Amino acid sequence: MKQDGKTGMVLVTFAVVLWSLAAGFHFNLWGRQARPADIALVDTNFLSTATARVSAAELFATPGADTSDFDCYVCHEKNKPPTLRYDSAGQLLVPTEHKDIVMGHGSHGRNNNCFNCHNESKLDTLQTRDGRELKITDSPSLCGSCHGPTFRDWEAGVHGRTGGYWDTKLGGLTFKPCTACHDPHHPKFPGRKPAPGPNLLHPASG
Amino acid sequence: MAQTNSNPGSSGANSQSGGVTRRSFLRTSAVALSGIAAIAAALEPLRDINDPITLQRFFQKHYKELTPAEMEKVLARIAAEVEKQYQLRPQIKDYKPMDGVEFVYCLNLTRCIGCRKCVHACVAENNQSRNPEIQYIRVLKMPHGSLNPEEGEHNYKSEMVPEKGFFYMPVACQQCRNSACSKVCPVKATWQEPDGITVIDYDWCIGCRYCEAACPYFARRFNWTKPKIPKERLNPNMSYLGNRPRMQGVMEKCHWCIQRTRAGKFPACHAVCPAGARKFGNILDPNSEVSQILRTKKVFIQLKEETGNNPRFYYYFDV
Amino acid sequence: MIRGIRNYFTFLSRCARIAFIGDWRYYSWMGALTVFVLLGLNAWCKQFAHGLITTGMSDQVSWGVYISNFTFIVGVAAAAAMLVIPVYIYDNEELHDLVIFGELLAVAAILMCLAFVTVDLGRPDRFWHLIPGIGKFNFPHSMLAWDVIVLNGYLLLNVHICGYLLYSRYSGRKPAKWFYIPFVFVAIVWAVSIHTVTAFLYVGLGGRHFWNSAIVGPRFLASAFTAGPALIILALQVIRRVAAYRITDKALLTLRAIVQVSMLINVFLLLNEVFKEFYGKSKNISSSTYLFFGLEGHHALVPWIWTAVTFNLIAMFLLILPLTRSLRFLNLACVLAIVGIWIEKGMGLVVPGFIPTPLGEIVEYSPSFNETLICLGIWAFGFLAYTIFLRMSVPILQGRLSRQAEDVPLDEVALGTARSPEPLV
Repeated sequence: MKQDGKTGMVLVTFAVVLWSLAAGFHFNLWGRQARPADIALVDTNFLSTATARVSAAELFATPGADTSDFDCYVCHEKNKPPTLRYDSAGQLLVPTEHKDIVMGHGSHGRNNNCFNCHNESKLDTLQTRDGRELKITDSPSLCGSCHGPTFRDWEAGVHGRTGGYWDTKLGGLTFKPCTACHDPHHPKFPGRKPAPGPNLLHPASG
Repeated sequence: MAQTNSNPGSSGANSQSGGVTRRSFLRTSAVALSGIAAIAAALEPLRDINDPITLQRFFQKHYKELTPAEMEKVLARIAAEVEKQYQLRPQIKDYKPMDGVEFVYCLNLTRCIGCRKCVHACVAENNQSRNPEIQYIRVLKMPHGSLNPEEGEHNYKSEMVPEKGFFYMPVACQQCRNSACSKVCPVKATWQEPDGITVIDYDWCIGCRYCEAACPYFARRFNWTKPKIPKERLNPNMSYLGNRPRMQGVMEKCHWCIQRTRAGKFPACHAVCPAGARKFGNILDPNSEVSQILRTKKVFIQLKEETGNNPRFYYYFDV
Repeated sequence: MIRGIRNYFTFLSRCARIAFIGDWRYYSWMGALTVFVLLGLNAWCKQFAHGLITTGMSDQVSWGVYISNFTFIVGVAAAAAMLVIPVYIYDNEELHDLVIFGELLAVAAILMCLAFVTVDLGRPDRFWHLIPGIGKFNFPHSMLAWDVIVLNGYLLLNVHICGYLLYSRYSGRKPAKWFYIPFVFVAIVWAVSIHTVTAFLYVGLGGRHFWNSAIVGPRFLASAFTAGPALIILALQVIRRVAAYRITDKALLTLRAIVQVSMLINVFLLLNEVFKEFYGKSKNISSSTYLFFGLEGHHALVPWIWTAVTFNLIAMFLLILPLTRSLRFLNLACVLAIVGIWIEKGMGLVVPGFIPTPLGEIVEYSPSFNETLICLGIWAFGFLAYTIFLRMSVPILQGRLSRQAEDVPLDEVALGTARSPEPLV
């Protein structure tokens, strides 16, 4: 019968197609998963909780640390206040012995007198503008004598990073002194290179 | 699921008036055999399943219905699975919320410098997949003058941050008081805990991604395939609702480092921020940093306040 | 009682076996569909093993063609009610028998919807978490929970109505009115509800401005009642040709009237949406801008939506004109309407809701090869199911497949000549 012949052909074709499909499936001829692009692991520097600097307070608290930077009278004479030198534009000339100090405490070169903060009579201490003498490790009291609102926030734990525990029963907050993050001579918080940005799941779709 | 006509023509030849002819029987069998071969071959990719479903996992109850004894068994199972995969024995606990504690997070937009250390500290602490990459926190580089996230840039590659003329706004799960995600989840796999954290039961989630569509903050992430964590960076201090390794096909998101915060510590992002822009604590304690911020700062905002989700995350400014 | 059960099983068995009998055209059609189903099955197995990374979706665009197709087909399922209303409320005799074909389409469509949702799940092995009472069902807060209930309920309603009417016909008994008429009226309301609930899935999300609008629900219904009856118009002509079943042109023209009015409303609602988005200078229009004009250099969907709008407008004008009383133009208008609405409701609704993300990131989406194979597989499965349903129901309605004729060999039943169908009830 013609109909039956046609049906037979259709069924044979169908069987052939099914076998081809089976082969295609078995050998995974299409729809393969592309290997994902490599994403480098982040540099562990970005995971470090260390502060930008080590403050004097932390240095002195560390046993065996090298505190020779703070032995002022190795070079200076006692009871002889050092002379400050300025250039023609009124900018402080940092002596070559202290060349690692970059001055920048205040814009337009304001606050460029070392002895606004350092005690010229007792070089290993600090002084406030109203004449209070402070230990060299007590940067918060000195900074706070001018930066009132920031000091208020710092005491509350609102300025600067706090450590320890939020749970007071376990010990509560620990605080970092100002100079753990801010260079006292150039206190603006340093810029840095950011960690890598996000990667898309399908890189071609961005 | 598939309907197949693997043996068409079988009945056509089963004429009830006569017997089955040999030709039609052979024809039918040939087609039937090819059909079976095609179906079997079609199902072959199932051999690639790398995380077989065990009976114990299939029947595991919802987190809220597990008895303490059942939870112990579940934690033991997870510890065994992690050890098998990463050759590292984890300490995994089910941390419970503390009484009298409601967490709140504040972020100082004056201080954030956009360094993205928080993003990566979070990834390391919470065992997120590195490839494909999952990051809970997204830092936006915003131009001065606008809090509209559409103005922000996501993939800035600046040489130095912060860049002049911009401020930086990290966004992660806001742990909303009236969250859209827990409202829309069809199986209650995500919900607010009493201490304010919105959590996910990874063993209950069906992966429909309705929560991801509902979240106004792009806070939720989906495991599009099995997550890859390098063995050497696995954090073995784990919690059931927090940073235990997740599996293919489930949602995850920031949970305020529940394994740390419910043990009294700060989240990883808070601990690493070099600028001290992040503040976290118990708002029910009037002396906590966050209480003081919300009491004293003149301007603090919730992102997308108009959606009514009422986040527990506040952005504020100093000078 | 035992005899009743035995009779029922004989009925089921004869229905099942007749699905495998046909001429060479039938085998070609079913064979081709089976090939696509197998391709889709294989693609889904790959997805099940490797995860949804095999699709083109991402965290930024987390729903794609699966949910787009789901949304469109829920509308088609709802439109089966559009046949029921003229028959049972307006006593339109012309359409009487065709109710079954419409409801069988609804059943096939709901099966497709369930398939599309299942392939979209990250953990389909955890499906039991959705079962009320056994899992944890977030009713009444989650609209997805509502959707699970209404879709499965609609499936059961239609399976009951069709099954009962067909079995009554097969048994030569007049169906008891109380056992199906109330369900028919419930099905009318239920049809509207399945599509409204699906619309509410989107409308309820306050974080997505593109969807958070009151017009989405009415737009859904208008487009569903355009595309659905259009599909039925085409399907009925195929049935008329292939099964020699008597379907008058008058029936088709009644359906044309439904498509005509619905398309007019659909286009009117589109104009409303476009005005609301673009007249003011609100900042909440990024998704619409992306869809119609492109955004920041990204414009993948722009040609799609303008094609859809053009097709819909041409279809609308064709439908208004008496031109479409001629079947050739009517069919053209139907095809244009179906394609236009499929694009609009699929790529034109679901994808732009995700672009840009709530944080303003623009990541585009296009379906992967695997994803497309799965979609084609489910569409083929739907066509396969509907063809099988018709293969079973047409002989029953024509009286050739009945309890009285149980000793007639099935291939004679299948390939025998058609008799004029008697009214069903």
